[in-house]
Amino acid sequence: MLLIHCPYCEEARPEVEFAYGGEAHIARPVDPSTYSDEQWEEFLYIRSNPRGRHHERWRHSHGCGRFFNAVRDTVTDVFETTYKAGEARK
Amino acid sequence: MVEIAEIAVSAAELKLGTEPVQGDGVRLSHADPKARYSLRARDAKVLAAVIGRALPGKIGDTDGGIACLGPDEWYALLPAGTDLPRVEGLPASVVDVSSRALGLVLEGPGALAVLSSGCPLDLAKMGVGRATRTVFETVEIVVWREAEDRWHVEVWRSFATWLWNAFLAVMPHAK
Repeated sequence: MLLIHCPYCEEARPEVEFAYGGEAHIARPVDPSTYSDEQWEEFLYIRSNPRGRHHERWRHSHGCGRFFNAVRDTVTDVFETTYKAGEARK
Repeated sequence: MVEIAEIAVSAAELKLGTEPVQGDGVRLSHADPKARYSLRARDAKVLAAVIGRALPGKIGDTDGGIACLGPDEWYALLPAGTDLPRVEGLPASVVDVSSRALGLVLEGPGALAVLSSGCPLDLAKMGVGRATRTVFETVEIVVWREAEDRWHVEVWRSFATWLWNAFLAVMPHAK
């Protein structure tokens, strides 16, 4: 079973305790009412979808309940690192 | 036409036992009635002052019947009837969730094997007095290692019947 290191629990925990939360570091609109359709499309649907290093959000839903960020290789499925939400991109 | 075998046990036939079940090296029973509280606060000091009890500081630690489940979340498992003070005007929350969950207790040298049959954590490495939220198969549970061979399992009421029967099914095979 794939083990994921939770930066809050400071432990490697089984993957089934976690939920995937999509790409990380996507900033919410500061002033949503001024957004054009194109900007909304960009924010809601357009993702980088890289081959290789991918920054993504995970939630330790059956553990501490916290969202955190992870860097995972989309080819090998190896987690390079995980870090707390709010920390700078690694 | 393909014949489809009937399911051996339907959900309606599952019963939540009331009496303890003694297996070979493992005993399954209900925990004593408990008062349960969900405690939340960003600042543990605020919460500790409100309830007048010490809070464990690290995730997974327990102290006086209170387990730290997350960075801002604690779970109090206290003797039935215990009343914690409610919060007013402070950034913290104390919620009585006594009826939300049931406590099942697995005891004996085979208890670890029974729990490990459905729980993906390495429970053998879990220290006595530690508690954590995790899953059994797909059911969310809180596991509390009360002693070397005694495990308290908190499970939401609606999943308790299934969990009880899942434990029963594994017990004959746990050595």
